[in-house]
Amino acid sequence: MNKEKIEKLLFIVPTCLFLLTISIFPFLYSVYLSLFQAKLTKMHKKFFIGWENYQIILFEDDIFPTAIKNTFMIAFSSITIEIILGFIMAKIFFEIRHLKISNVLRTVTIMPIMLTPLCVGLVFLYILNPTLGIFSYILETFFGIEPFAYLGQPIPAKISIIAINSWQWTPFMMILLLAGLMTVPNEQYEAAKIDGANWFHVMTKIEIPSILSFVLLGIVLRLIECIRLFDIIYVTTRGGPGIATEVMAYFTYRTEFRSFQVGTGSASAVIILIISLIVTTIAVMLLRRVEKNEDFS
Amino acid sequence: MLRKFFLICTLTFLPINSLMAVDWGSELGDHSGVDLKVQSIMDPYIDAVKEISPQFETATGATVTVEGFGYDGLHEKQIVACSQQDGSYDVLFIDGIWIGEFVEADCIEPVEDIWTAEGTDKSVIAWDDYIDSFAGQAIWDGKKMCLPFGGYWHMLHYRKDLFEAEGLAVPETFDDVMAAAKLFKDNPKYPELEGGYAMNMARGSAAGQQYYEWIYSAGAQPWESNYPGSPDAYADQRGLYNSPESVAFIEWMQEMVNYMPPGVEQYAWDERAKAFTQGKVAMINNWSVRTPLFNDPEISKVMGKFDVALFPHAEGAESVPPVGGWIACVNKHSKNRQAAWDYLKWFASPEIHREWVLMGAPPSRHSAMNDPQINAEQPWTPVLYESSLRAWQELRPRHALTFELIETLGIEVNKALTGESTAQEAMDTANKKIDRLLKSEGYIN
Repeated sequence: MNKEKIEKLLFIVPTCLFLLTISIFPFLYSVYLSLFQAKLTKMHKKFFIGWENYQIILFEDDIFPTAIKNTFMIAFSSITIEIILGFIMAKIFFEIRHLKISNVLRTVTIMPIMLTPLCVGLVFLYILNPTLGIFSYILETFFGIEPFAYLGQPIPAKISIIAINSWQWTPFMMILLLAGLMTVPNEQYEAAKIDGANWFHVMTKIEIPSILSFVLLGIVLRLIECIRLFDIIYVTTRGGPGIATEVMAYFTYRTEFRSFQVGTGSASAVIILIISLIVTTIAVMLLRRVEKNEDFS
Repeated sequence: MLRKFFLICTLTFLPINSLMAVDWGSELGDHSGVDLKVQSIMDPYIDAVKEISPQFETATGATVTVEGFGYDGLHEKQIVACSQQDGSYDVLFIDGIWIGEFVEADCIEPVEDIWTAEGTDKSVIAWDDYIDSFAGQAIWDGKKMCLPFGGYWHMLHYRKDLFEAEGLAVPETFDDVMAAAKLFKDNPKYPELEGGYAMNMARGSAAGQQYYEWIYSAGAQPWESNYPGSPDAYADQRGLYNSPESVAFIEWMQEMVNYMPPGVEQYAWDERAKAFTQGKVAMINNWSVRTPLFNDPEISKVMGKFDVALFPHAEGAESVPPVGGWIACVNKHSKNRQAAWDYLKWFASPEIHREWVLMGAPPSRHSAMNDPQINAEQPWTPVLYESSLRAWQELRPRHALTFELIETLGIEVNKALTGESTAQEAMDTANKKIDRLLKSEGYIN
């Protein structure tokens, strides 16, 4: 082996070791544990049960399938809202980009992203409290609506989670789409103006096609984030009422760290990873196609 | 009559030796340089633990650090630490119902082994001075594993002033409770009230434990061999969660939701107690550890306006007050096990227990329950004592699956209470899931 090869190896080996320790080993160990009936309190007594953990959580129990459904429902609804509101906000900031105050406003707008989801959850827990929260107070004072447990009933709880999630992440989508709008050449707007295009034509024929790759990038990043959604649920509803807001990550946490059923918990973690891989692979493929202008040119 | 009852109890249960002062100088070792770490729940008694521990420091030379955690967080930290054979904490305060799980995880050094090996003076332990329903929480497979110190029993807490104003008798039955709750809910005479009653209804442990707290007084039982007085509560664990009596009880809870404050579906221990402390509900059932808080002028709006009564029961059933509370264990992986044991036997002894209770902690021994000064400072003690003598120690399962089982049950109960499923559907599902869980671990065939 020559000197150059040794040098290359010396650079690569630490990275490989790091990956092996931090990602690959835990993943393989999770797969291994998922094939056992194993409890943290008696790991020495674990025994092999094959695919039974997967069978139980996917087909015999209603909670994990509901958690998958809830995760995607929350992801789909939140991301849709974030794209629509994010685009409107991006357009507003795009139009006022020449004003000095726009920088200040933009900074203020992105503040929710800077907060940890745990804090956001806590703040909304107080806001939505039926007896002490400001939301109920406003509704009762100005509209005569009786105090209501928004996080205590299945459908309102789902809507609340989507609203909290969207509130925090819409600014992220806004920043991304604003960056996209900034890339649209000014000539296109001038040409559209000469041709007599109205705002709707400009939006649908120039702006949206131009920022599509940004939208898709936003979807991919947010989808990964939504699949891992945990903190807000943990603080506000703990998956309740019933299993109305149970999501995959919270189910895994509950199984692993409350029931200490590490076999079942590992099985759900492996399923989450597989789902994440499938979803992100599809999304990245779409993103590449858009970038190459294969379908959307 | 009541006085006679307590006199008999006092003479029967109060061992003479529990009244004698212990010579701590010869009983405790020198632990200079040891930093003894105690891991506790963040319940109201924790301040009293911190207040009394310096006496142990003076006697032994050790320093004592008491750290408090929330209920779920404490359980999680303790089990994870135990699985890693972590000895960071020397003394573990655990919920009595976790005992099976902690034994399974091999986390605790059985105190019976320690005191047998050491030849500890029996008057220091004074096991007979513990109330049976609570002492049982520290025993597993017939062996005394930990020392009980913080016994809780449920009592009905009600607003004496409002009941007197309405000329209502103290509720004894479920029907009485519902009628009173209905009267106080949305009553224009009491605009400060948001509900007549408050229960733990939040998904998971809160709703699950609430079920166990009420089910015996509802005239039902959770599984085949578990009923008050059962010789072996774990002999046949096939579930009876969907029995007609159990379903009827869930239906009763569903109706009670109408007379509770908005958002009760998310109430757990803190929310329930806060609602009563803030004068927002006329009644709650509550663990006795929080009762002193209702008389704390700094946080309570109901000081001097409430009273306690025995846990209510269904028509034709007996009141079976829930028992719970905390037991102190020596961490098997601790490097300071001798100091930990000394702390345990000192802290749980009748003498120190009395002092601790006078600092506002819950009485848990016969001697404390019958102490005139404690009775004067905590005037609810006679009712508490009667509750403790009627309680059933196997109220909730205490084996290794307890946490998961209660959580599973709590999800289904909460589904019924929020209208996601009917009472029958919820309890059928709960029964099926719990049976499967127990089968998977070999508890039933």
